[in-house]
Amino acid sequence: MLKAKNIYKKYKQTEVLKGVDISVAKGDVVVVLGPSGSGKTTLLRCMNFLEKADQGNLEFDTISLDMNKATAKEIGKIRKKTAFVFQNYNLFQNKTALENVTTGLTVGRGMDKGKAIEVGMQALQKVGMADRADYYPSQLSGGQQQRVGIARAIAVEPDVILFDEPTSALDPELVGEVLAVIKQLAKEGKTMVIVTHEMKFAADVATHVVFMADGRIVEEGPPKEIFLKPKEERTKTFLRRILPQEEYNI
Amino acid sequence: MEINYQFLVDTFYLVLAAVPTTLKLTIIPLLLASPFALAIALIRLDQQKGFLKILVSAYVTFVRGTPIVLQILMVYSLLPSFLNLLAKAWSLNINVFDFDPIFYAYIVFTINIIALLSEVLRSALGSLEKGQLEAAECVGLNKIQAYLHILLPQAMVVAMPNICNLTVNLIKGTSLAFLMTVKDMTAVAKISASYGYNYIEAYVDVFVGYIIICSIVQILFHYAEAHIGRYRLSK
Amino acid sequence: MRPFSLGFLMDVFPILLPFLSATLAVVVGTIFFGSVAGALLAWAKAGNHKVLKRVAQGYTYIIRCTPPIVLLFIVFYGLPKFCLEVFDTNINDYDKLFFVIISFTLLFAAPISEVMRSAYEAINKGQYEAAVSIGLSPWQAFFHIVLPQAVVVALPNFGNSVVSLMKDGSLAYTIGYIDLIGKGQLIVSMNYGAYAIETYLALAILYLIMTLGLEKVFLWAERRFSQHKQIA
Repeated sequence: MLKAKNIYKKYKQTEVLKGVDISVAKGDVVVVLGPSGSGKTTLLRCMNFLEKADQGNLEFDTISLDMNKATAKEIGKIRKKTAFVFQNYNLFQNKTALENVTTGLTVGRGMDKGKAIEVGMQALQKVGMADRADYYPSQLSGGQQQRVGIARAIAVEPDVILFDEPTSALDPELVGEVLAVIKQLAKEGKTMVIVTHEMKFAADVATHVVFMADGRIVEEGPPKEIFLKPKEERTKTFLRRILPQEEYNI
Repeated sequence: MEINYQFLVDTFYLVLAAVPTTLKLTIIPLLLASPFALAIALIRLDQQKGFLKILVSAYVTFVRGTPIVLQILMVYSLLPSFLNLLAKAWSLNINVFDFDPIFYAYIVFTINIIALLSEVLRSALGSLEKGQLEAAECVGLNKIQAYLHILLPQAMVVAMPNICNLTVNLIKGTSLAFLMTVKDMTAVAKISASYGYNYIEAYVDVFVGYIIICSIVQILFHYAEAHIGRYRLSK
Repeated sequence: MRPFSLGFLMDVFPILLPFLSATLAVVVGTIFFGSVAGALLAWAKAGNHKVLKRVAQGYTYIIRCTPPIVLLFIVFYGLPKFCLEVFDTNINDYDKLFFVIISFTLLFAAPISEVMRSAYEAINKGQYEAAVSIGLSPWQAFFHIVLPQAVVVALPNFGNSVVSLMKDGSLAYTIGYIDLIGKGQLIVSMNYGAYAIETYLALAILYLIMTLGLEKVFLWAERRFSQHKQIA
């Protein structure tokens, strides 16, 4: 469904992405792992043009784009097919939880207000935030805000949902509720690309794991292979440092 | 110290009668300036350097770096003759020198406020998290919609105290309108003082008048800020 | 309309410049006296004495609502009468500078007291506590530890207030004080209003140089005094 090839990106003098290819099929849950600075967040942000790649080719269903030369209209089309969940939630501070979810529908897609509220409440229900629909972000905990962020993403019915370290900014006790929501979405067959540090969760939920370091993909494959039988040294070093092997339950 | 109490009271009513003029000199420039100030703020926030950005920044720097008195003197000495020239060139049969001087006052104060307000808006918009715009674009809003529904409302709340300050300063600035023969509060006090040399009484009256107006304005802003900032409730 | 005369513009600068000292005299004098007055007000506002605090806050509020020119007129016309009645001294012939500095000192003290108070309150109380816990007297703790840090915090706002003062000070000509603007007006009237735009433009350039120069100076001072905050 979604294929991105040959992505290069430089920040000032540093090359952050050095020729990365990623491909996502419908129903896939692709988890991207790697140490800080490996370029995983940049890769994700390039996929929906929050960053402009220096080079690269994006194919989404029937659309094919040069990632450096894409026009605003083309970017808009891609963005209508994707949704993004941010590390620091980025909820609209001046809107209630429900309004956060419906803004993309009413303003962004011209949906009728009544219908939007219906869809919005459904999404909030799915993430367990229906009873806080009228609360402002400033009144919600981090975990609650992130769940609203996920509701906002699923309400627009995207083909792919992109998650940028969804739990990294949360207090440890709140991480679980967010991961539970994402696991539920995976069960329902939603296509997702997730950048995360949560290894156990990754092992649980991934259909495909991509390990990145220094701007390149070092190794990729099904979770069983990557976590239990990593081939590359770099992958082995990374996994050794993060979690002892016995704790994976694939 | 002999104070002419009768004069004090009489002049106070005269000053009160001039309050609408002072208010007009404040509100109209503010309204006229707003769209331009927003445009300039957006131009200056844009990452790319361009000729327009330089032009606009030079304008803001000039207005902020020169006393308002000087701006008044410049406009008042230049503009009528310039308009006269235009009128003759376009064969319009209007006598520029018959214009109500308040027209020139509006122009000076608007030019001044556009620059100052653009600075306030620029810093307010710049203080917002980058993520708000990103999230808006991800959810399908185009730039204009993002600004209208998400960014501007938040920027206004941040900017409120500064806009209040700006308005209070503008009210004080209008006290110089007498230089353009506009009959605002200060002008009225000056004129009435010169009849009987009752300077102190007259200026004390107008002093009190400004305190009253500024207090009312500050109270209004306080309520406005509380109202539009509702979403900032703490848990 | 007569075309713009670049020649006149160039010629008017040397005529105006001697009066720069008059403008600066106002600014420097006001900064000195105004800072002292402002410090006293800030001390009253940060302290515990309820009445003094209210008085200082009230003063700041009133000045904040007063147009500079109104204050200038009240001082210029009111002070001589007051001195005559109460002290039996005739100050009507005092140099206009006297009245100008008094007015702007009253004006400047209010925002400066706010700058000082908020800078002082921005410094963590822990700094003071640490200082006295190793044996410094309260005064020493304030003077050697808190004050230097507060100065750095205050610098940008102090700089803004000085720039504002410089612009407000341009009103002194309305009571007949001959500073840059005062001389400018004399030049304009001597030419029967002929070279007004050139004269005012020259004045604008001079003021721009002064305000931009001041901003640069304060930026430099901020950087210089924040060295301790920089990460090596």
